[in-house]
Amino acid sequence: MADTAEVASAAGSRDPAVGLSAVRSLRILVERLETLQVQNARDQGWTYEQIAQRLGVSRQAVHKKHAGGRGPLRRRG
Amino acid sequence: MFERFTQEARQVVVSSQDEARQLHHNFIGTEHLLLGLLDQAGSPTCAVFERHGLTRTAAVEVLRRFAGQEQLDAAALGTVGIDLDAVRNSVEATFGAGALDVPSPDKGREVKGHIPFTRRAKKVLELSLREAVAMKSDGIADGHIALGLLREGDGVAMKMLADRGVDPAALREEITTVLSA
Repeated sequence: MADTAEVASAAGSRDPAVGLSAVRSLRILVERLETLQVQNARDQGWTYEQIAQRLGVSRQAVHKKHAGGRGPLRRRG
Repeated sequence: MFERFTQEARQVVVSSQDEARQLHHNFIGTEHLLLGLLDQAGSPTCAVFERHGLTRTAAVEVLRRFAGQEQLDAAALGTVGIDLDAVRNSVEATFGAGALDVPSPDKGREVKGHIPFTRRAKKVLELSLREAVAMKSDGIADGHIALGLLREGDGVAMKMLADRGVDPAALREEITTVLSA
């Protein structure tokens, strides 16, 4: 991060491999932070409605994603 | 049923058990059967999967993503000016060490002894027998297990295939060809 010019040029990189890798990592990071913050909010007694408002998504979306089993690994027997 | 399995097919089952154990899973699901198939380097069936872009490495990566356990790439984040260490320090200051890492619910717990098949994985093995019988094969080969996975059509393994953009129909056709060779 020391070389600001280098970072700036990479951010505007024409190489799709560089740009897409960055997007992918950002997405992972966002997911991690979201999980952490939603859990924190729940621990502090926030409702899914309140959390959804802050995240700018529907209550159903937050609930589906963060309550109980989620994702492709959920087993339906 | 296992007495009808060929040596290769037995190896797939053994490998799938190893894969489950390595992932600290206390069950063998379709995803582990798929990994078991992909472990058989040099097998024609394994080669078909690889031709369709599904190597063991790719499969493990997909599975990791499904579980939300992808690796954060500090270098990639650096290219858009995000200092992962700084983010990590900030998060850990509030939420404690390792807060940014996704803990596997089973991690640390050693899975010992016999690991049972899930209902769906059992179904896949039954279907592999049916595939072998339908093809009038002498025994159940690893390719028949692959056909069983495709026939069952709805497990985590199928989601992994879909994620990699693998066409199940084309895969099925090629595996059948390989088995008939």
